[in-house]
Amino acid sequence: MKTKEKPKSTDSLISPNMDTMEKPLEPFQQYLQSLCAEDRERIELFFQDFTCQCQLNKQNTKLMREDFERAFLLYHAQGIPLAQALKRLNLKYLGGFYARHSQLWFPLDDAAKIYPISLGHGSMSLFRVSAYLYQDVVPELLQIALHFCMKRFPSFATTLKKGVFWHYLDSSKRRFLVEEERDIPCQPLAVNLSASQSFRVLHYHNRISVEFFHVLTDGLGGMCFLKVLVAEYLRLLGVEIQHGASLWDINDTPQYSEFENAFSRVPKGEKSSGFIQRMAVQMNGRLSETKPCRVLHFNMSADKLKAVAESYHTSVTVYMLAQIFYAIRAATDELQGEIAVQVPVNMRKFYPSKTIRNFAMYCGIRIPLEKELDFPAMLAEISKQLKEKSGKEIQTEMLNSTVRLVNTMKYIPLVIKQPIAKAVYGILGDKVFTSALSNLGQVALPPTMAKHVRSMDFVLGTSRSNRALCGLLTVNKVSTLSISKMTLDPSFEEKLYDLLCQDGLEIEVEGSSSYVG
Amino acid sequence: MLVKITYPEVTKCALHQRKLIHILRWPAGLAVYICPIVNIATGGVAWSLLVLFGIYLLWRFLLATDLVEYNRISQSSKLTLALCGAVGLVDILFSLNIALFVMPMLCFTGLCIASILFFTDLQKQKQNMLPMLFFLFICLIAGLLGVFLYKANFAWIYILLFTTSVGLLLSSIVLLGEDFLLEFKRRFHTR
Repeated sequence: MKTKEKPKSTDSLISPNMDTMEKPLEPFQQYLQSLCAEDRERIELFFQDFTCQCQLNKQNTKLMREDFERAFLLYHAQGIPLAQALKRLNLKYLGGFYARHSQLWFPLDDAAKIYPISLGHGSMSLFRVSAYLYQDVVPELLQIALHFCMKRFPSFATTLKKGVFWHYLDSSKRRFLVEEERDIPCQPLAVNLSASQSFRVLHYHNRISVEFFHVLTDGLGGMCFLKVLVAEYLRLLGVEIQHGASLWDINDTPQYSEFENAFSRVPKGEKSSGFIQRMAVQMNGRLSETKPCRVLHFNMSADKLKAVAESYHTSVTVYMLAQIFYAIRAATDELQGEIAVQVPVNMRKFYPSKTIRNFAMYCGIRIPLEKELDFPAMLAEISKQLKEKSGKEIQTEMLNSTVRLVNTMKYIPLVIKQPIAKAVYGILGDKVFTSALSNLGQVALPPTMAKHVRSMDFVLGTSRSNRALCGLLTVNKVSTLSISKMTLDPSFEEKLYDLLCQDGLEIEVEGSSSYVG
Repeated sequence: MLVKITYPEVTKCALHQRKLIHILRWPAGLAVYICPIVNIATGGVAWSLLVLFGIYLLWRFLLATDLVEYNRISQSSKLTLALCGAVGLVDILFSLNIALFVMPMLCFTGLCIASILFFTDLQKQKQNMLPMLFFLFICLIAGLLGVFLYKANFAWIYILLFTTSVGLLLSSIVLLGEDFLLEFKRRFHTR
């Protein structure tokens, strides 16, 4: 029986043989073909240099290369001349960071040691810092900006590892990722996979956000990174940025002092204070399964806020704390007990340090519910407590306690101390506080950068027991109070809003809808 | 209070691991509570120990996975040791007298799998050196003990386990070189 033969050449004219057809060119190849020979050669030289600059594994190198290709395509689409594009994307900004294997590793600072120990499924100490620009973010350029920035922050180019006695950060050279924001803010990071990042960079419309696992840094360190990232992003957009004391230059060489465990430099004293405190009253409202279940930002004029605080002869922090206390009172049915608000204290003001690792302690402002105080009396009480408890002596005592505790436990293997520490943290944890207010203060930006940044915010991550956590900062005459909620009960934020408005503050509220699990 | 929405809408996603833990902990807890009581009441072989161990394995490896250093090498070595524990438990409960033969075979298999994962991607996996070394040392000590204590027909298994462990340890030291010492320094730091 004859087999049916394949169609011959006459059939190929009607239905051409697919093997001989050219595959459609990829966009970058099409772009290259559209260039003159000289420009094509310049790009080829660029990518030859890239091969030397990027010695990561095959997959990461391919992805990074594609990042640069997308950047070229973007510039071309925007009508930016190739010379300008090459100048902005100059590979000198990679600084050989991805060309060499690193032997760097970082023991966790004394404040960070508790964070991996207290890790739980769905429970991770995170915070987020965000910058709002006047135009939508261009993700291709943000990705390149991140590639360029990483060399300046070697302690962030790490992955969390488990030692026999303590966790530590091990250098991890990889393509660090920029993602579009699609999920609830401050969700736990997967730090358990090989070479996983302990931070994430997100973009959404005109907002650039960076979320950090607290092992890496504190609020000030995180803000430092965000400023550098945004500055680099703006430079790629063609904005000339002046660097200075308030903004690190990515081309400066990282110094030891910028990544030291500053806790070890503090002179050891005899006095130390304990950590154990009484349980505090918690706000009403069922703890949501989804945490945070809502994030809100109260944007207000910094000048007006300062004027209001000054009208009460007090500081912005004390004023805001007082309003928070009143809002908490309205958000709880309890009639007895103590309201306690945790206030982080930046130790750099007592012991100057350039470190961007954790270097903060905290104090607790505690007022009994039974004490009925009018507003001036409340301000006076909070001011008194803040002055006493956030002073250098007491903070140093607390720091000494932390260091002493760490030194006592250092020879106990993790396999023994982790479950014990986790159990203790689970019992006490954040139940000794009702809420927290972390004030990053005035964020300084160079004038050339400040005019491109509309506002910034600082969001504290989730809590096991506290129903609301507050972060405050000021930039470009806009103060933003960010509230992360762990309950759908709106009593706290609604009362706080009313109280602030009653004092004449005009507040624009932005945020998320409620995340119902 | 009018809120301008500036965050993306999040769609209801599939059951997250933590929600699964939240839901499954109740039936698991019930089983942990009921099985020993039934076992004690009905008497006989302590089968509830096997059930409890099985629940622990499922929980540990499928639901409440490691939050730090969850990689193929650490998980394969932990699973091997867990299976050895299961075999030992079965042997004790049912007097099968197979554990001393099966356990070293399991360890040898686990060692082969871990070493393939380790040596085929050495540059990346040297950061996962400790789980590998920890498992190697356990196998080495088990092999050594078996060689001296267990002089029956199956001593060859222990000799195989011991020599393989020593070989892999030496290979790690030779291939990693300076990195081996540096990794040790990191893993055992007390700073």
